[in-house]
Amino acid sequence: MVSIPINILLVDDEEDFVEMLSLRLEEKGEKVFTAKSGSECIECLEKQSIDVIILDLKMPGMDGIETLKHIKSQHPLVEVIMLTGHGTAETAVDGMKLGAFDYLIKPSDFDTLTLKLDAARKRKDEQEERIRQAEAKLLLRRSGVI
Amino acid sequence: MNQNPVMIVDDEEDFRNAIVRRLKKRGLNVIAADCGETALSYMESQPVDVIVSDVKMPGMDGIDLLKIIKNKYPASEIILLTGHANASDGVSGIKEGAFDYLSKPISLEHLIVKINQAKETIFRRLEKQKEVSFKETIKQKMIATERLASLGTLAAGVAHEINNPLAIINEACGWMTTILSYENMKDIPRKIDLDKALKKIDNSVIRARQITHHLLQFSRKPDCRITDVSIDELITETIQLLKKEISLKDIQISEQKSSLLPSIGSDPGLIRQIFLNLLTNAIHACQTKGTITIDVYPENNGIRADINDSGVGIPEENMDKIFEPFYTTKSPGEGTGLGLFVIKGIVEQLKGTISLNSKYGEGTAVSIFLPCLYQLEKKSKGVKNGKHTH
Repeated sequence: MVSIPINILLVDDEEDFVEMLSLRLEEKGEKVFTAKSGSECIECLEKQSIDVIILDLKMPGMDGIETLKHIKSQHPLVEVIMLTGHGTAETAVDGMKLGAFDYLIKPSDFDTLTLKLDAARKRKDEQEERIRQAEAKLLLRRSGVI
Repeated sequence: MNQNPVMIVDDEEDFRNAIVRRLKKRGLNVIAADCGETALSYMESQPVDVIVSDVKMPGMDGIDLLKIIKNKYPASEIILLTGHANASDGVSGIKEGAFDYLSKPISLEHLIVKINQAKETIFRRLEKQKEVSFKETIKQKMIATERLASLGTLAAGVAHEINNPLAIINEACGWMTTILSYENMKDIPRKIDLDKALKKIDNSVIRARQITHHLLQFSRKPDCRITDVSIDELITETIQLLKKEISLKDIQISEQKSSLLPSIGSDPGLIRQIFLNLLTNAIHACQTKGTITIDVYPENNGIRADINDSGVGIPEENMDKIFEPFYTTKSPGEGTGLGLFVIKGIVEQLKGTISLNSKYGEGTAVSIFLPCLYQLEKKSKGVKNGKHTH
């Protein structure tokens, strides 16, 4: 089976972590972009087409939740998986209420991450497909076919 | 005021009986003794607060009796009765610690006033002692809480700082493992050794992660999220989560819940954590085909849950250590020794209580009480439902 790579944006201020996880994800065949902060993440989103963002919640400057709010208001279809080093799942649950797809606690299990990445991409694809169909229907109705 | 009797000690039978009778008529609880020795043997068997004793008695006199009583029962008060011409006896009695003295012939009214004063004194002293010891307990508790809070902050800091490098090790190790799994890497020299070492790193990361995650649980932020919680549903949910381990050991779980189980105001996430940890402990303690019973029933303004297992139990000498952090009987890597420590912290945060009884070889019984927190929440304005602070 040929798998289409997921365009992932990895956002974390911990550079070594970003490097190692992106190497590992690329090794698996994914396309990985990286950002060291919330603002870099937002810049990157303007330039690249991203499927899933892996977002650390605890970052200096613009923190994860703020970044998430921005992402969801500007790019609502992009799915976000939150990474939290802070064991309490509460911030993560808040994040999910704001539209994040899921969360993982650092250090996380790679298989779990992979599953969540696939599921997140699937949801994005399905949503985009629904939008396409809706648009098509709309177009047909406008042109009087239905 | 307390109902301990007043004791009349006098060798003159007529006088003694007359006083006892008249005091009884006035509603006092009175007993009588004909000499110091009898009085002391009475006091062995029952507490007496106020003693009214004649000074002049054959054998042990009133002053000797006073000394013995003050020595043995410092909380009691003694009123001495002296002969009319011997007021100096009374004075020396007071020097020895008597409450007061009355000269014979005595007026009953006067005696009753004195007895009541003595009782009042004892009562007030007792109240003061209670207050002092209560303040002391509160102080101890506050010190313990503060220490735990600062320990929690420190632990959370350490855990968080360790999680980041741990995540890096985790990804680096996983990356190498992926590379080594490629077909073209199959024949590199000493691949088995590398695989073995990477597996060890991976296992150790998992182990360290368990510790840091437990520590982070322990040092949760103090704001609970209080909502309606149905404890029995949470328990059923938790059992579902542990289904695999339960069936693996063929453990019988029976759940008994009172039919009229109210839901309480508490934090469902925290309660789930409690039951997850407790049931995991129970399962680990059980042999194959063991049994676990869970009883849930309402108790004043809250819910009590009893969890009993037929597991190995806890030896008595370990009982006082089980709630200490990092105390475990499991082998390294299997248990962090934080399970019960975390539970205790959470239960206290939810204003509940936890007690544990165990018999080595027979099993363990854990009893948890969780109160409804709505009333408590109303009192403290700071905790708002759904509010989150960083």
